[in-house]
Amino acid sequence: MTAFLSYLRVLATFARNSFVRDMTFRGNFLIEAVTSLGWASMNLAFYVLIFRYTPMIGAGTGWGRYEFFLFFATGLLISSLVQTFFMTNADELSDLIRLGGLDFILLKPMDTQFLVSLKRIDWSSLPNFAVGAALLAYALVELHYAPGPTEILLYPLYLACGVVIYYSLMMTMAAATVWMGRNLTLLDFWFYLTNFNRFPMEIYGGPYGLPLRWLLTFIIPVLVVVNVPAEILLRPLRPEMPRDWLLPAFTLLATAASLALSRWTFQRAIASYRSASS
Amino acid sequence: MPLIEIEHLAKSYRVIQKKEGLGASIRGLFRREYRTVQAVRGIDLTVEAGEFVAFLGPNGAGKTTTLKLLSGVLTPSGGTARVMGHVPWKRENPYRRRFALVMGQKNQLWWDLPAAESFRLHQHIYRIEPRQFQQTCDELTDLLGVGHLLGRPVRELSLGERMKMELIAALLHSPDVLFLDEPTIGLDVVAQHTIQTFLKHYQQVRNVTILLSSHYMKDVAALCGRVVIIAQGRIVYDGSLAGIRDRFAAEKIISLAVADGRIPPDLDRYGEVLSIEPPRAKLRVPRGAVPEVLARLLESCPIEDITVEDPPLEEVIAAVFAQSESKDEG
Amino acid sequence: MTARLALWWTVLRISLSERLIYRADFALGTLMRFLPVVTQIFLWWAVFEGVAASGAAAQKIAGYSYRDFIAYYLLTYIGRALSSMPGLASGLARDIRDGTVKKYLIQPIDMLGFLLLTRLAHKLVFYTMALLPFALVFYLCRGFFSGWPDAVTLLAFLASLVMAFLLGFLIEATLGMIGFWFLEVSSLLFVFMLISFFCSGHMFPLDILPEFWQAVLRAIPLQYLAYFPAAVFLGKIAGAELAWGLAIEAAWIVFFLAAARAAFHFGARHYSAYGG
Repeated sequence: MTAFLSYLRVLATFARNSFVRDMTFRGNFLIEAVTSLGWASMNLAFYVLIFRYTPMIGAGTGWGRYEFFLFFATGLLISSLVQTFFMTNADELSDLIRLGGLDFILLKPMDTQFLVSLKRIDWSSLPNFAVGAALLAYALVELHYAPGPTEILLYPLYLACGVVIYYSLMMTMAAATVWMGRNLTLLDFWFYLTNFNRFPMEIYGGPYGLPLRWLLTFIIPVLVVVNVPAEILLRPLRPEMPRDWLLPAFTLLATAASLALSRWTFQRAIASYRSASS
Repeated sequence: MPLIEIEHLAKSYRVIQKKEGLGASIRGLFRREYRTVQAVRGIDLTVEAGEFVAFLGPNGAGKTTTLKLLSGVLTPSGGTARVMGHVPWKRENPYRRRFALVMGQKNQLWWDLPAAESFRLHQHIYRIEPRQFQQTCDELTDLLGVGHLLGRPVRELSLGERMKMELIAALLHSPDVLFLDEPTIGLDVVAQHTIQTFLKHYQQVRNVTILLSSHYMKDVAALCGRVVIIAQGRIVYDGSLAGIRDRFAAEKIISLAVADGRIPPDLDRYGEVLSIEPPRAKLRVPRGAVPEVLARLLESCPIEDITVEDPPLEEVIAAVFAQSESKDEG
Repeated sequence: MTARLALWWTVLRISLSERLIYRADFALGTLMRFLPVVTQIFLWWAVFEGVAASGAAAQKIAGYSYRDFIAYYLLTYIGRALSSMPGLASGLARDIRDGTVKKYLIQPIDMLGFLLLTRLAHKLVFYTMALLPFALVFYLCRGFFSGWPDAVTLLAFLASLVMAFLLGFLIEATLGMIGFWFLEVSSLLFVFMLISFFCSGHMFPLDILPEFWQAVLRAIPLQYLAYFPAAVFLGKIAGAELAWGLAIEAAWIVFFLAAARAAFHFGARHYSAYGG
């Protein structure tokens, strides 16, 4: 128990220290918060524009305007959490490894991946979480739909799975960069991968789309991140319909597998740590 | 049972060969060239508990690399080491709780926050009990005289003050072994002295084992009973400070003052003339020749005062470094 | 003159050498930048499916067919390639802040000209290297285009690209010069980048906006950075409208040239008055 508590305490200290630091540079903090909100608003505006011309994305997919807003809101919730807790750290990781900044972290009696992944928390990305929550509520109201208790319980679980999958992907790329020599390519790749998630997976159809959808679901589990929680909230879960629970079950598996992969890549990356000469 | 046992420890790196010019850059697109840098080439060392050992050596000698190997920051290319029974690069938590590393050229404290916040982080990471933590913290800040600076952001502190904070951070968890890599580099004389006094006191009271690497003689002379000279990744000397002279100083310096103010013009017959300022002069003479030169000087000049000294330690050590370098290139 | 040529050649050579070092990054990075187009390909297909399923007969949205949409996005990549000036405004502001700008004030170098040259060199180098990946992508996506436009349109397209480069440069240079008066200009730059991304047509063809907003966005010069060249190539802007568009763009260039020069002149005076 003490081990777990100490990890919590360290996390709380990281959170607090990051907050104090963010408040010291208040101007920067505000700009970044405004920028994040700005991006979210622009995307929302774009989606509103699309729905001026069509009542549904895809034929018979079920993604009408408010369903899609719920999808977008889910995406916002997940991405805001990932950006708040992990983005800065993943960004810095390759520099940390390349320039020898990992020295002191490696000699601390705590899991290195934990320390590296959470040492900096970016509070300016959190406002988007509020926006996502508000949009979610709005969408549900407009849909005149209240999800059942199972769905309400499963939703946060699958949000967490989404965050973990995104984190693992990010970490794997950041850590693998050690062998590449520069950060640019791999973490950008993460952005491009998650870009596929701007819209529900159902848009990927046809002779090229379907293979792409399977690749991005079963090999690199990006598409399940937003789709699964969103669909859980939109439709009551029917245990007799495999379609309803197959994908969510797979998502749990994917979460565990991607976390394991990130850990493995991370361990390999620090094994080859060179620690720049002082 | 020695606290630290090192056998044939070696560490080499593969470094990408970068060449100048446009043509080379294009070629670099298709084929990368590597060369191997051997930072540490087989070090054997044993340290008992409570020792205060200095690593002395020129830049690039491998001192820092050795300390990083012992801290588990790096994994070696060959050889073994055990510190307090642990293999450092296994990075086991029980080991990591018992040692500390301080690097003079690297900060671990959060830059924009007061040192106190970084200390608190340490407390949680090392799971130091609150009362113990407060006590240790107070003790250390008192000894180093930085209590009033705890609330100031680290970036506002001077280099010396920052170094003191780094030391405190390292000692909060009361480690048994302390690795110090050039802790006084870049500091003014006063700060250097404070830290040296502190380290001496701390070591005597707590009986911790300290490995300190430096290229400042003052650090070494003030603190360490045992000096290990590392050059080109190898140990070239391991013993006391005084012993260095005995081992390496091939010459002595004779200073003389003549009674009638007339320095003999053929002074260079006796050895290398270092300076002539009538009525004084200084000569560098090979050790073995000292008795003979003395005798002849006393015979031929009206000597008023004559002393025989060792050359300054810095010179001797510099010569050792240079010697090992040329040996390597040769 | 030869001295200047020699300078340009050196700058070019150094930039080339620098970039070549990051070999793997470069090839991969350039190709990867086109990945979002894949999503757009599927998105707009789905949107048009939705339109068809709802019974509407129209095969076009705001005058763009499905293939037009994808062609549009690809073309904005070209526009953006030429008009984006990463780090120009912020670099300028930083130089002002830490005093490096003084060398322009003291030495007989025309700062604006010098910056333009370095940007030109950089773009030349960068896009010569990127030619292959770009060509590959466009070749693979040739099905979205209805062949080449006529000579006039092509000429207008090329002209709009050149002007997009100049306009992009001048707008950011002027913004950077604000640093002469306000030290912390980064907030302004962030806001500008945000707005620019939306209003220049990177996200969608401006035609799909409701009339009021369309009019607003057509009044500001940002549309020329990505939307205009793409729309011209696709024939969405033609004839008199095209001529007008080019003329107004040229006017904007003159305007920002004057603005940048004025900003530099008055800014430098203001700056020196503070004994920077």
